[in-house]
Amino acid sequence: MKTKIFILTMAAVAAYICPVFAQQPAYETIVDGVKVIVQPSGNDIVEIQTVFKGGVMNYPANKQGIEAIAMNALTECGTARYDKNSFKNQLDKVSAQVYSSTSKDFSVLRMNCIKNDFDTVWPLYVEALKMPAFNAVEFARIKQDAINILKANESSPGQAIDNYANKVAFAGRDYAKNPNGTVEIVQTITSEEAKAYYKSIFVKSHLAIVIVADLDRQDIERKIHALLSGINAGAPVKMNKEFFRAYKNTFSSEPRDLATNYVEGVTSGPLPGTPDYNAFYVAMRIFADRHFLDIRTTNGLSYAPGAYFSNGTTSVAKFTVSTTQPDKYISVFYKLVDKIKKEGFTADEVKNMKVTYLTGFYYKQETNSAQASSLVSNEVIHNDWRRSLTLVNDVKKLTDSEVNDAFRKYIGNIVWVYQGDTKKVNPLLYTNGIVAPDNPVVH
Amino acid sequence: MVTPNLSKLICLFITASMLCLSSASAQPKLPHGYFWKQLPNGLQVVVIENNKVPLATIEIAVKNGAYTEGPEFSGLSHLFEHMFFKANKDYPDQAAFLKRTQELGAIWNGTTDVERVNYFFTFDRDSLSAGLRFMNAAIRYLRFSPDEMVKERPVVDGEFQRAESDPGFQVWYETQKLLWGDLITRKNAIGIHEVINTATPEKMNVIKGKYYVPNNSLLTICGDVKHDDAFALAEKIYGSWESSGVNPIEKYPIPAFPPLIKSSALIKESTIAKTPYIMYSWQGPAYATDSAATLAIDVFTNILSLNSSKIQQALVNKGLASAVSLGSQTTHYVSSIETFILPNPNKLKECYAELQNQISMFASPDYYTDEQLKDAKANLLRNSIRAKEKPSSQASQMSFFWCSTSLDYFTNQDNNYQKVSREDITRMIKTYITNKPSVSVMVISPEMSKSTSASTFFAAK
Repeated sequence: MKTKIFILTMAAVAAYICPVFAQQPAYETIVDGVKVIVQPSGNDIVEIQTVFKGGVMNYPANKQGIEAIAMNALTECGTARYDKNSFKNQLDKVSAQVYSSTSKDFSVLRMNCIKNDFDTVWPLYVEALKMPAFNAVEFARIKQDAINILKANESSPGQAIDNYANKVAFAGRDYAKNPNGTVEIVQTITSEEAKAYYKSIFVKSHLAIVIVADLDRQDIERKIHALLSGINAGAPVKMNKEFFRAYKNTFSSEPRDLATNYVEGVTSGPLPGTPDYNAFYVAMRIFADRHFLDIRTTNGLSYAPGAYFSNGTTSVAKFTVSTTQPDKYISVFYKLVDKIKKEGFTADEVKNMKVTYLTGFYYKQETNSAQASSLVSNEVIHNDWRRSLTLVNDVKKLTDSEVNDAFRKYIGNIVWVYQGDTKKVNPLLYTNGIVAPDNPVVH
Repeated sequence: MVTPNLSKLICLFITASMLCLSSASAQPKLPHGYFWKQLPNGLQVVVIENNKVPLATIEIAVKNGAYTEGPEFSGLSHLFEHMFFKANKDYPDQAAFLKRTQELGAIWNGTTDVERVNYFFTFDRDSLSAGLRFMNAAIRYLRFSPDEMVKERPVVDGEFQRAESDPGFQVWYETQKLLWGDLITRKNAIGIHEVINTATPEKMNVIKGKYYVPNNSLLTICGDVKHDDAFALAEKIYGSWESSGVNPIEKYPIPAFPPLIKSSALIKESTIAKTPYIMYSWQGPAYATDSAATLAIDVFTNILSLNSSKIQQALVNKGLASAVSLGSQTTHYVSSIETFILPNPNKLKECYAELQNQISMFASPDYYTDEQLKDAKANLLRNSIRAKEKPSSQASQMSFFWCSTSLDYFTNQDNNYQKVSREDITRMIKTYITNKPSVSVMVISPEMSKSTSASTFFAAK
């Protein structure tokens, strides 16, 4: 079967966080100064994620993309003992997944294998982390691929509008950097430069390791100790939390020859660790339902109206829509926000969202990789992996007023971006915003 | 040729499948923890016990989708799927429907594909009874108000417009048109703009009457549930759903897909393609007539995905492409075999030539090694372990096969992959790929099309 090139869905599936029922409790252990977080899984799958903290804070704007290509080189450019083909062929023989991903706050080298194959895969994983070769010929190949994939991403309208929104909203901030870089910058990165960069982040102070698997604790500690031997301590990494607020509504647009128009808005959100954080998370989940109802169900304006709290060291709320009626969309949007600010969410809405959150909590516990990713993001962004497990109880304690206050406090001016037929949109309708006493809109 | 044992097994599968299509089905063989029952009205119910998390997932799958659509109904199985989440006898409009999903704390969705439409809800295990009643109201007592339809038509058309804004869809869509000709509507679930935008409640009721009957549906209940309790609930709630008495797929037969007569190549210029996309395709095996080949192609495509395979080495390792993959979604009727390539735009001509060179060698005895064949089969087993990891996805995985093949095919798939021989693979390649008419499509920006003189080399062979 496989290869689902195109399937239609009623709606994009919602995604959430956290652990399990019927699993042994998670624990942490410090090995040679590096935090190792272990969640026993109760199944035959091993998921390990080695985290490199810092993300876009690790490099200047004129080097954006360097972390992503350096991480990719770990598995694509050979190691001290194996050339690229030999390395990959050994992984293929046991269908092991070893690959990297890079985001604004951290990078991960992930391994996933069947437990019986762990002894085969682990040494290769260690080899990739500790002895990457950065072979120049292979590096030239992955550089071309990285450029090609950047162009493919830019061809995908959903990704293109989000990149555009980040660039405009976060101009002058670290978050404006695209972890995958730009075509112009990636073109200039050399294998030597990437190797030196990797050396600078593969230090104990940048690392955390998350394991979701049924492995013996002593064996884990022994293996991690061997992995970390000879690795420098490094300078401490401080995850700078940067608050975002737009001081006026703005509208930026780019013409694109699309069959519809893409719109994205970025506004404020609470910083990780602040008291409003969980309440705002719930508020945005309820708002997403209201947004769906008003934009899609009631007015038939879009297939995919989205609203979500984008978590990170810079946390923001985002609104997305594709529509052939962008002016009508913004009118409905602002009226909805105004109504909620005046009337608040109902007690039923808050109660029901807590139930939905619980379903989502367990839903995310179904796979080892989802559990590991949740532990990683909570550890990096909140410096508290346990939050991945405790948030479900914290959400239950939220009051209606906490949820409503959080929404009112952070939903203010919005940075809007637009790609599509620029003749179809009236920017003034976007910049005029909501005229309300609690909204510091600048006209 | 398939091995004698496998042939026999596959004959049994086909027989079992035909029984499913007629009336009462024999008890199928299912994996451990799966339980099957057929209600007197023909509704098949499968319960999958998995207590990994305290959730329950319910799904109804219906043999409906693009394959049941002539031009006048193109895209309406999909519109129907959207209408499912709107008004019914218990919930007067979508707002009320959605409010109920929120009360249940449900994660939900529906999908429309070529040979299946499915609806699924995941919620707390204690909400099973309430969830089954909720689904029952929607599947049996849908109401198609003209107002709701007027609102939903642009939503569904908006989904189409989003797809059209993506070059990945564009290359797929152009390929389907060339592969299926006049029968494109039978393979394209998104449909035709005008048909979607003029759909009426009457047309929705036609679909409901034909396909949304218990004897054309599968109810799956999975998660932290007990099969006896779940069967009892299913019978109590769905037992009164009246059978139509006829198999809709027999009464409204799917027309035969004519074979491709000749190869074709198409360059589609698109300003949104910042880099080119290529698809190279053939008509592939049908489960109904050649189920052995559906297994052989899965093994073969798995071989081709190995880093060591000739095609990955020639295209990706040599820097001619960033990615190449070959696959075929199993379908009851004629399938497609699709190769997707993200070529290196600086080596477009060489990439296309090398792709054709690789295809010409597929049937050579030394195109892959015995070791690669062994590795591919072992990897299919490992993939199966991974696929079963997520309890809430198990219903959907199984119902896909129920709609397009049979429950026996699903259950025996892992074992049958292990029985696929070189001869099976060679027969499949010679039957469907080597020297067979193909369709190649490239989506490329007008500037790059001109600068690379794409029309001089992108041609059918």
